[in-house]
Amino acid sequence: MFFPTLLDFLFRGLEMSAPIAFCALGAVFCEKSGVVNIALEGFLSVTAFTVVWGSIAFQSVWMGLAFAVASGVLMSLMHAVATVTFRVNQIVSGVALNTLAVGVGRFLSQKVFEQETQSAANSYMFPTVLHINSFTFVLIPVVAACWFVLYKTVFGLRLRTVGENPEAADTLGISVNSLRYVGVIMSGVMCGLAAMVLYPSKWVNGMTGGRGYIALAALIFGRWHPVYAVLAALLFGYADTFRIMFESKIPIPSQFVQMLPYVLAIVVLVAVRGKSRAPAADGIPYEKGE
Amino acid sequence: MRKTKSKYRVLETLSPILGVLASVLVLLVIAMIIGEMPGKTLNAIYKFTLASASRLSTIFSVAIPLFLAGLAVAVAFQANVFNIGVEGQYFVGGLVGAMAGIYLRLPVYLHLPVVVLASMAGGALWAAIPALLKVRMGIHEVITTIMFNNIAAALVNFLVNGPLSGRGEKSLEPQTLKIQSTALFGKLNHWFNAIGLKVPKHVYLDYSLIVAIVMGFLVWFLLYRLRQGFEIRAVGTSLEVSQYAGIRVKRVQMTAFLASGSLAGLIGLQEIFAIRGVYTFEIAAGLGFDGIAIALIGGNSPVGVIFSSVLFAFFKQAGYGLQLYTAVPNAIIYVISGLMILFIVVINEVTTRYIRALRRKEAA
Amino acid sequence: MTLLKMDGITKVFPGVRANDQVTFDLAPGEIHALVGENGAGKTTLMKILYGLYRPDSGTIRLRDQAVAIKNPRDAIARGIGMVHQHFMLVPPFSVLENIILGKESQTAGVLRLEEPAREITEIMNRNGLPVDLTARVEDLPVGLQQRVEILKVLYRGAEVLVFDEPTAVLTPQEVVELFKTFRMMRDQGKGLIFISHKLDEVLDIADRITVIRRGQVVKTLLRAEASKPLIAELMVGKPVFLHVDKPPAAPGAVILEVRGLRQRSPRGHLVLEDLSLEVRAGEIYGLAGVEGNGQSELVRAITEAVRLESGDVLLEEQSILAWDVRTRRDRGIGHIPEDRHRYGLLLPFSLAENLVLGRHHRSPFVRGSVVDFARMRAYARESIEKYDIRTPSELTPAHALSGGNQQKLIVAREMRFDPILLVASQPTRGVDVGATEFIYQQLVEARSRGKAVLLVSADLDEVLSLSDRIGVIFKGRIIREFRQEEATKEQVGLCMTGEKRSA
Repeated sequence: MFFPTLLDFLFRGLEMSAPIAFCALGAVFCEKSGVVNIALEGFLSVTAFTVVWGSIAFQSVWMGLAFAVASGVLMSLMHAVATVTFRVNQIVSGVALNTLAVGVGRFLSQKVFEQETQSAANSYMFPTVLHINSFTFVLIPVVAACWFVLYKTVFGLRLRTVGENPEAADTLGISVNSLRYVGVIMSGVMCGLAAMVLYPSKWVNGMTGGRGYIALAALIFGRWHPVYAVLAALLFGYADTFRIMFESKIPIPSQFVQMLPYVLAIVVLVAVRGKSRAPAADGIPYEKGE
Repeated sequence: MRKTKSKYRVLETLSPILGVLASVLVLLVIAMIIGEMPGKTLNAIYKFTLASASRLSTIFSVAIPLFLAGLAVAVAFQANVFNIGVEGQYFVGGLVGAMAGIYLRLPVYLHLPVVVLASMAGGALWAAIPALLKVRMGIHEVITTIMFNNIAAALVNFLVNGPLSGRGEKSLEPQTLKIQSTALFGKLNHWFNAIGLKVPKHVYLDYSLIVAIVMGFLVWFLLYRLRQGFEIRAVGTSLEVSQYAGIRVKRVQMTAFLASGSLAGLIGLQEIFAIRGVYTFEIAAGLGFDGIAIALIGGNSPVGVIFSSVLFAFFKQAGYGLQLYTAVPNAIIYVISGLMILFIVVINEVTTRYIRALRRKEAA
Repeated sequence: MTLLKMDGITKVFPGVRANDQVTFDLAPGEIHALVGENGAGKTTLMKILYGLYRPDSGTIRLRDQAVAIKNPRDAIARGIGMVHQHFMLVPPFSVLENIILGKESQTAGVLRLEEPAREITEIMNRNGLPVDLTARVEDLPVGLQQRVEILKVLYRGAEVLVFDEPTAVLTPQEVVELFKTFRMMRDQGKGLIFISHKLDEVLDIADRITVIRRGQVVKTLLRAEASKPLIAELMVGKPVFLHVDKPPAAPGAVILEVRGLRQRSPRGHLVLEDLSLEVRAGEIYGLAGVEGNGQSELVRAITEAVRLESGDVLLEEQSILAWDVRTRRDRGIGHIPEDRHRYGLLLPFSLAENLVLGRHHRSPFVRGSVVDFARMRAYARESIEKYDIRTPSELTPAHALSGGNQQKLIVAREMRFDPILLVASQPTRGVDVGATEFIYQQLVEARSRGKAVLLVSADLDEVLSLSDRIGVIFKGRIIREFRQEEATKEQVGLCMTGEKRSA
């Protein structure tokens, strides 16, 4: 009795963590390049819809993946145009995109499924392995790839430079803006992947439940490092899994258990204050001299 | 010189107007893609917003909480504090206010101000923790306030279902006991009727309108007439200059944050004390986030927020019109308001740069 | 053969001719020093060479070929390298990463580190620049960080190397090492441009010396013809004393006393070392010194609460260390800040609001907590008139004013607050002649009214013509004080280079 529960917990926890982890990886790319992105939540709520839409419309989960990634990229492009090209305040742009995203899912759902708050059921999904969405396991190679790209490639080195010292990059002939575009777009791509695990069998309005924001806490806790950020995401994911699996068995009111991930996020932020250092130019629009 | 100054002024006021126009254009284009001609779209909007006294006065009724929400966010923004937590502060503030309305026994003339103050205190209380975390520990408020929104939702849900539950009252959804009649907000419709403005009975132009007007004035007075407001704006303009000038920056940020939270506490007044007469977990969610959009569109000034909250209310109502009379879903309004913020800030950035270039040319 | 020839370079910024028909050349195997006072146009010229600025006119020739350098990438491609005054390093990266950045070796996008490491090691050996390639740059002392900058340039195969005040941040021992490297590079046939205003160093290392003043080349000298007094004279030109009417000083009680200040930079360098000075009522105390010798730190210790290792600051015999900025202002410390754009003005705010900033919380500008706008505007109109600030009205935003008028606005504000001590930091930097003269009058007037004035300026003429006493700051301490009568430009100038005895 104990072992099945434990295994169940381990795998479900992984599944619960994956969307947060993907989003956090997206945030790593974005912020390593120097752009703060609080619109991850918005990106995710759009991609969560488009994955279902694409899968149902083309009767293929691959099309769902394509839709999700494409829509994530589209959203992130808006953020990039506003913050990189026009240098508007990155938080303001994020707020605007979150507002916009609230409407996108509901608008499209009304048009496509003729109901505003949920989609039709989607049966085109990746197969389940060990009782969980098999796409969850894609996380592992993706984390490895992200780490490799950021720390072992020319692109990664330059991307990190742009987030740390854009002026230095500029004096070495490295284009700050194009790298920041790529960083921001990567966050859209990752939110597309996150949606593949989130709940691809159906879209429900508000289903993202703040995971995009939790991913930001994971990013900070993980010190802007892809591997640590994913580990931090696992912490949040497992906390949530614990809540879902044992809510009914714990003698405290369920609402307090529901607060767990958010309180945890605050505690984590307090704990790492001053120790976790953002890229030096994170959040600062770059303007060339003269 | 006078002339050039007005030229700049025109350029500066242009960005919100252009932003709104651009987003309306996008709305019409989306509607056309769906298959609705602009004429029909505009007509649907008209019918639901301006066609009758009832529609028109509803816009203003809807605008009241939106105005308070926008004002709350704007005060914080003025000090460069990003209070994304207005939503949670509104939940908590409303609950504290409702408690004062339910459990205190006071004569009307005391009970009404007490519930207003209690709501403000509740909102400020919920803002105080992220504010302290920011000022004392340097933790950026954006993430903490978002987390506090979620915590507030769970907390309020618990309280309304548990210790403060008023089950037994005949209702399906969890709610508190009924608010005493001494604390209920009456309507002001007859005042408007008396001066010849037709406001139908079913429209809520209630005491919360007075609160909104008073608060709007107070915030304006704070920002533009009190030295504390001067300091808030100075801090929002430049931390470095403010420090140089001896302004106690942390204290100012704390003040702005708490003022923002108190205003947030008032967003629920209309719904709780005028419309429902009880506090439920179902009080309109999302108003706090609407407030962010409204503050940004209104340029974070109280006067601007008057316009942007009415505009927002107009669009909200327009959304229902579209839903009813056309094939365009109501949710389009969120898409449009998000775009509106983006358009406004981008256009603003472009004009500011243009103005700077013009001035530099003049100086050279 | 010349390696580089810049001919007739002109660059105009709003209000300033930063470079005016500048001609400069460099031969292979030569160290050519470029000297001049702050703001003379040295850095502008080099930024043009490196593609960071575009000249308004003039040509650049490399090995007798005309070239257009549009950006740093062009400059690098043509063999020009620059070691910036403010290092262009990425602190959390390793030394190796910093060096290869922008010129990485790769296989299909994947970084290859071994070959560059080998190549760089060879460059290090050839030029006497050993650094641990795996160390993180932020963990290195400044001298080693500079080596990384030099290695960056050499790794890109630069033939023309520009050093913008490289010795400013170094210890004497590090300077010796750096000059060894300079000679090695020269012997390899590279051309070096060495920007400095430390004359000893220039005379020690340079083959030729070009002196630049107010955007123009004054003269190019061979090492053999150059001497310290000659360069100093060429740098400052004929003493241009602006006319300052100054009644005799009548110094009163000590207002400001700075006692044995010791402070370290975040990197652990001593920036203030037992610095002591006194400023009396009714006197202007001028602080002369090459920039970066502790002036800014001293000003900060007087105007705001900072962490000190030891020492005390007293205002009228009372220690002020525990006071915050507001208390200091309230108790009578006025401050004209060094960087007016960053600290001095709320640019979108009206002139009237800026004129009361810092005293906006006190009577007569507030009643209770309510701002008295009528009073504020009347006060602003008075100030505009009295201080001759050119503006359409007192409600004009500060950013619409010219630089000179912005500075007058700040001076007016600080003067009218009637401080007992006025700290004036670079009060005429970037300001036109008319405004400069006016500001001088105001400082003298403050002195006549019995205020203590601490004047910090990189402009030696300014210090000499205004001050009653002059303290020379060098490496965080006052190494000598002069009375105005006994101070000559040569003496003080020499002293600023660390030479204590008069020549």
